[in-house]
Amino acid sequence: MIGARCAEIHSVKPGAKHDPLTPFHAMSDFDATDYSLADFQWNDNPDVLSPPKDFEEWSSDPRIQVAFDLFEQELQDSPSARTTMRSNIDGEAREVINLTSYNYLGLSTHPEVVEAAQQAADDYGISSSGSAMLSGTFDLHNEFSEQLAHFKQKEACMLFSSGLGGNMGAIQGMLQPGDVLVMDEKCHKSIVDGGTLARAKSVSFEHNDPESLDAQLERHSDKRCLVAVEGVYSMDGDLVDLPAIVEVCNDHDVPIYLDEAHSTLMFGENSRGVAEYYGLEDEVGVSFGTLSKSFGGVGGFVCANEPLIEYMKSYASPFQFSCSLPPPIVAGMMKSLEVATRDDTLQNQLWDNVEYFRENLEAMNLDLGESESQIIPIIIGDSAEQLYPMAVQAQQRGLFVQPIDFPAVEAHARRFRISVSSELTQEDIDEACNIIEDVIARPLRKSA
Amino acid sequence: MTMDKDEIIELLTDELADQLEGVDRDELDPNLSMRDFGANSLDVIEVVTAVMRELDIKIPRSQLADIETINGLADKFDEHLD
Repeated sequence: MIGARCAEIHSVKPGAKHDPLTPFHAMSDFDATDYSLADFQWNDNPDVLSPPKDFEEWSSDPRIQVAFDLFEQELQDSPSARTTMRSNIDGEAREVINLTSYNYLGLSTHPEVVEAAQQAADDYGISSSGSAMLSGTFDLHNEFSEQLAHFKQKEACMLFSSGLGGNMGAIQGMLQPGDVLVMDEKCHKSIVDGGTLARAKSVSFEHNDPESLDAQLERHSDKRCLVAVEGVYSMDGDLVDLPAIVEVCNDHDVPIYLDEAHSTLMFGENSRGVAEYYGLEDEVGVSFGTLSKSFGGVGGFVCANEPLIEYMKSYASPFQFSCSLPPPIVAGMMKSLEVATRDDTLQNQLWDNVEYFRENLEAMNLDLGESESQIIPIIIGDSAEQLYPMAVQAQQRGLFVQPIDFPAVEAHARRFRISVSSELTQEDIDEACNIIEDVIARPLRKSA
Repeated sequence: MTMDKDEIIELLTDELADQLEGVDRDELDPNLSMRDFGANSLDVIEVVTAVMRELDIKIPRSQLADIETINGLADKFDEHLD
């Protein structure tokens, strides 16, 4: 219960003071399940090499330990629709239906992708052995960058060794102290951290709310601003209201940074993403994507006008100071792009699966939030007491779903997050739904 | 620690003014939320952490997340000081 909240809001009774250096057991009415990871970011331990003393006390509580056990469980096979996972709860390795990996189009194990990566490993070895600027730019990197720029309808593209690095680096490369990064409140940590790294002022607007955005841009009208939004929001699976955002940004003459981590290769007639889906690609100043989701690899990429890309290459630390992407990954990703865009086969399989899954989940009267994509949350409400036992039971029944808890989501909207894959068969989805009915839907109906 | 609610509000607004650039401390109306003055979620965490350390209390964040105003936060902190 990493984010557990006790049903009784006053279980920490008035008068229960807590000195951060006093172990929790000294507090007569301490209930570990009241606390979450949000409560331990500040470390008052004088020893820098040690976590806060109350963190160790909290995290060793058996009820909290269950939640930690669900992290870093070992996969013993590829992250496909069916894989093998060793449970940290009971130590058993079992086959599971995998609703947690980001392998939306199954490309990480696609035979042509794997073969391309193997060939590049034979030709180039497994590392680029250098940063892009000095010795880590190979013919493969240049070819792939050009392909991605063309794909995203932008002049130029730069590759990053991680998605997080791409967002952080691009924002660091564009903004500086005195500038303002205006983010949707549901933007990913990598965008937030980009603002921190740039030492720009970071402000957020209410999710997908053009009036709230307008107010922030009005407030900062005397500054250089950048508006950051995401194509598909990762915890809710809903889409950016791009037409409304574009209208406000154009009114204020402020550019848009669009993170298409969870939408590239899946949305739009040519699978270029949510901007294409809305017919608004020309309104996007910078388009970001990852190679770790639908592409089935690892890395990030940023597409924009050529002068900006050339400029950012000298001021984006994750680009300048990381070893560039390994050649086998670049070759594999080029093949992923080719496979995913030569026809609609994988996308059609994915959207058929999403539709079939949704129909079944809706028939169970589950709260799926505002999802419009392959990410489908099952929102169970404020009960962490239900969330973790449900997760453990589902996994032990052979369904790999993970709980998402406060502070990652709001405390009243704890959830499971399903990532639908094109690789799932109808039988997989039927079996998954049977387990969801038994372990999640029926108990929720009873407790309601 | 003896501190009345007005003093807690003063602590909160002092910390908030320190955290936010270009905001006049006197314009921080406690009946509004920190976000109304341009605070982002990281700013709120910084301010709340600093004030709880000052008051020597630790309240679970999950119990603070839905409180809308500076005044509401002060009430919550006040409960834990009694």
